[in-house]
Amino acid sequence: MILRTLKMVLLLATTLLPVSMSGQAKKPTIMAVPDLAWCKANGYVTTTNYQGRTLTTPDYEKALMENFDLVSVLTKLNELMADRGFPMRDLSSMVGDLNRAEIEDEMTVSTTSGAEIGETALERLQRRAKADIMVNVGWRINSTGPKKSVTYLLKGVDAYTNDAIASAEGTGNPSFSAEVPVLIEEAVIGKMDQFLSQLQRHFDDMAANGRSVSIQLQVFDNGSGLSFEEEYGGEELAEIIDGWMNDNTVEHRYSLEDSSENFMKFSGVRIPLYNEKGRPMDARMFARKLQKFLQGTPYNITSKIKAGGGLGRATLVLGEK
Amino acid sequence: MKRIAILMMALLSIMAFSQAKTQSKDNVPEYQISGTGETAAQGTYMVKVSVLVKKAKDVSDDVISRCAVHGVLFKGFSNQNTRQTQKPLAGSPSAEASHADYFESFFRPGGAAASYADVIGTSRTTTKSGKLYKVTTVVSVNKDQLRKDLEDAGVIKGLNSIF
Repeated sequence: MILRTLKMVLLLATTLLPVSMSGQAKKPTIMAVPDLAWCKANGYVTTTNYQGRTLTTPDYEKALMENFDLVSVLTKLNELMADRGFPMRDLSSMVGDLNRAEIEDEMTVSTTSGAEIGETALERLQRRAKADIMVNVGWRINSTGPKKSVTYLLKGVDAYTNDAIASAEGTGNPSFSAEVPVLIEEAVIGKMDQFLSQLQRHFDDMAANGRSVSIQLQVFDNGSGLSFEEEYGGEELAEIIDGWMNDNTVEHRYSLEDSSENFMKFSGVRIPLYNEKGRPMDARMFARKLQKFLQGTPYNITSKIKAGGGLGRATLVLGEK
Repeated sequence: MKRIAILMMALLSIMAFSQAKTQSKDNVPEYQISGTGETAAQGTYMVKVSVLVKKAKDVSDDVISRCAVHGVLFKGFSNQNTRQTQKPLAGSPSAEASHADYFESFFRPGGAAASYADVIGTSRTTTKSGKLYKVTTVVSVNKDQLRKDLEDAGVIKGLNSIF
């Protein structure tokens, strides 16, 4: 009897163990925002002078408070995405969160120069929202005599690599009688399948070739003299890191976008969806592997990981923890 | 004796081939599909299906429904006037071959396929095209439910399938 129970426990353990180890790939978060061109055409932008340049940034709060069509488009998009098992982050909630962050940032000033944090509204939103995919949505009402039609645009952009991963656009049927909100809703529904089939292709590519992430490396300016030009066994540190990337990416797919003695930026780094233990992998975990490699002999370099908050970006700062 | 055996085998293979052909033909006859260009209710597609047959009376609503669902799944459709284009719901026509067993029973007369489509009764027209009759009807296909059920059956991939 005891032997039988033991056998059962062993059988259950062997069945359940791989399940608990493998888990599922980390799901990207998606958020829809009004397109900058739409914001500009409808007067929902703010212009600021930033280091001698005039920057035009979208004013999401004003747009959400004043434009009911926008609210209904975002709600419909979220409904359609949720139907496919992919609910999006809500822009209105994020704007509320953003306001609190703005107050925090306003109170954060440099102790030496008194300078405030320089960040645009979009950058701040991306940082707070931690969305992996930003969906830009916009539309225009066309009038030909009494007929009205809607030209609609939907564009999904990877927040880390800025790659356009899915898009749909087109002009709906002109109508004499239909009200503008109805035409907009028709456009949203009519173009969604095209957009989602491209998003599906992106995910299929991710499953086949790994997640595309961005990894940055910097050095602490702590007087240690560490730089990416430092040599180990006749090879510069930059070359060693480049070689590690080549060995650890899916089918050696990555590109070194920028490199200097203090900075390296890798983009389009294809990392496996799961690590050797079967756990879901993101940019932070991949950077941790590199961190461990550099900690080992003969390099003995300590470093600090700064994850970008999402799945696709991590920064490794070498020199100290 | 050897000749008879060879003849028997050849006859059997011809019979098997024609049987398979008949089955496929019975399930989904030759058809054309296009978008109506009209706005469909949320979760549905409005398509125009033209079935080409020798006897017009053989084209039941069940046959038209199966053709409409087959078209939405594997052919996709477009409408030149409105530049409306929808890609195949199953991703590509090869999806049918990779799940041949499932789709054979799915598209069988009285199978599940027809339950995803509603024939718009007043839209049926019949014209003679050479030796064949072309029976054209507007059909509403419940694509959201169709996709969901095929995703649940593991026949087509969903957005969530790798997460």
